[in-house]
Amino acid sequence: MNARRLFDGLYRWSGYLAALCLVSIAITIILQVAGRFVGITIDSTESAGFFLAGATFLGLAHTFRQGEHIRVTLVTRLATGQLARILNLWGVGVSIALLFYMTYWAFDLVYFSYKFNDISPGLLAVPFWIPQSVMAIGLLVLNIALIDELVSLIKGQEPSYNRKPVI
Amino acid sequence: MDASAISIVLFALMLLLLASGLWVAPTLIAVGFAALTLFSAVPVGSIMASTLWDASWNWALTALPLFIWMGEILFRTRLSSDMFNGLAPWVARLPGGLLHVNIIACGVMAAVAGSSAVTCATVGRMSMPELQKRGYDESLSIGTLAGSGTLGLLIPPSIMLIVYGVIAQQSISRMFIAGVLPGLMLILMFMGYVMIRSKLNPSLAPTESGKTTLREKLWASRLLLPVLGLIFTVIGSIYGGYATPTEAATIGVLGALFLAFVSGSLSKASFMDSLMGAVRTSCMISFILVGAAFLSISMGFTGVPAALAGVVERWELSPGMLLVVLTILYIFLGCFLDGVSMMVITAAVVLPMVRDAGIDLIWFGIFTVIVVEMAQITPPVGFNLFVLQGMTGRDIFQITRAAMPFFFLMLLAIIIISVFPQIVTWPVEYMVSRR
Repeated sequence: MNARRLFDGLYRWSGYLAALCLVSIAITIILQVAGRFVGITIDSTESAGFFLAGATFLGLAHTFRQGEHIRVTLVTRLATGQLARILNLWGVGVSIALLFYMTYWAFDLVYFSYKFNDISPGLLAVPFWIPQSVMAIGLLVLNIALIDELVSLIKGQEPSYNRKPVI
Repeated sequence: MDASAISIVLFALMLLLLASGLWVAPTLIAVGFAALTLFSAVPVGSIMASTLWDASWNWALTALPLFIWMGEILFRTRLSSDMFNGLAPWVARLPGGLLHVNIIACGVMAAVAGSSAVTCATVGRMSMPELQKRGYDESLSIGTLAGSGTLGLLIPPSIMLIVYGVIAQQSISRMFIAGVLPGLMLILMFMGYVMIRSKLNPSLAPTESGKTTLREKLWASRLLLPVLGLIFTVIGSIYGGYATPTEAATIGVLGALFLAFVSGSLSKASFMDSLMGAVRTSCMISFILVGAAFLSISMGFTGVPAALAGVVERWELSPGMLLVVLTILYIFLGCFLDGVSMMVITAAVVLPMVRDAGIDLIWFGIFTVIVVEMAQITPPVGFNLFVLQGMTGRDIFQITRAAMPFFFLMLLAIIIISVFPQIVTWPVEYMVSRR
């Protein structure tokens, strides 16, 4: 039971961080416009982009749990019982394999950006490994959510992403 | 293996993965992975990671979450419940009466909600009971909803146009400007159709009695007008060259928060709901776009897009024929995919073809959005039809029959913008020339 709360907390807080990133996009834009009025150059092109990446990747697991990543249900909704179970296991299983691969290579990218000291091309000159590690962490959290899902599917529970009624 | 065989294998793989219920974004990445692993000799993992990263911090895309958030805030105000009463007095005396509320309300709501299915559901939920109570023809009520649910996607700030601008690397400001006239044209065509039908057969719509004064009209739409004002401000600031789309979106968010505050619907809970809703929707769309960027790069390595563009050339397919073929393809895909996915999935292959055929990519964006939306109401399967079926409890054939005229009106609109592309391109050229 405690593990359940721990995982749900992870997805929720990762989602809150994504929300903070989204708000930060707006804030950097406001700063840029305000800076223009008082004659200070604030370039928010990079910061807004990094916060966008943060909002996307940190939000992945939360969005998955809420069932808002879209998929084609035209065929799968016809399946019932054992077949529906197999299709769910298949979808989650393939996603785990894929996300595992993506997460591995995302951390690889972070490592090499750090090693070769890659810097973003604009005024901010942020070391790329910092925003890139947000991407890697977001993918990792989605990976955890998918494995969590697989375990509960094997236990015979309903998929969490199906709980929300469509529209 | 030659390019056409490769493309068939990859397309079959994609359809198989989609049909098996795999999520859209992972499907795109899986197909890209397969393309690189099977048909190229490049290091797949590192290309994947760097492409995903490059696509995810795209400046052009930063407007997307902000526009979605603006919509989520407005969506949670009393806007949707006030929409019917706010619009009714303005259109009541037109032939067809309150049926026009459906059309205009969908136009406004779609600018706010960004999804035609949600638009259909939201507007329908408040207007259908009212229209039924007053004795409007049910088929025409359902049809106007089905058709108009789609048209707002042309009217900025449209999520679809941002998505297209990002994948086709076209200026989002220009996409927004290009969408205005075709969007208005569709609204007028829908309204004109309702008027003609009601003139020919007055039993379809009862005559609304009761005159209202201007003051009463304004009071009834006191929440609606500020929202319209906000949308005009956002578009105007882009059109006038005062703001980038992202800056305009920020203005939109601040304005929406202000309106929500003034109308008393801003609370800590509604603020968080709107924010988390925006996080989920924009996360879903961005993840698909990032996956599509990877797919597009992978396809480039296999040489499929160039080869298919060559096929178009060899067959001497005229631009007109190409557009007919693409229209049929999109309508087919619309049977099981939503608009954003359709556009994104086909981009890697379709855009190089279209560019080679000498078709203007901004014009093509508007064309695609209309076709993609048309596909949502194509019988026998289309997303909006299912929504209306769930809401009205009628069977799919009745819904289809009701939506049919609007399907043909949209087809007519496509023909009109093909014959007179200036409808799309002229406002853009005018805006550029004034700078």
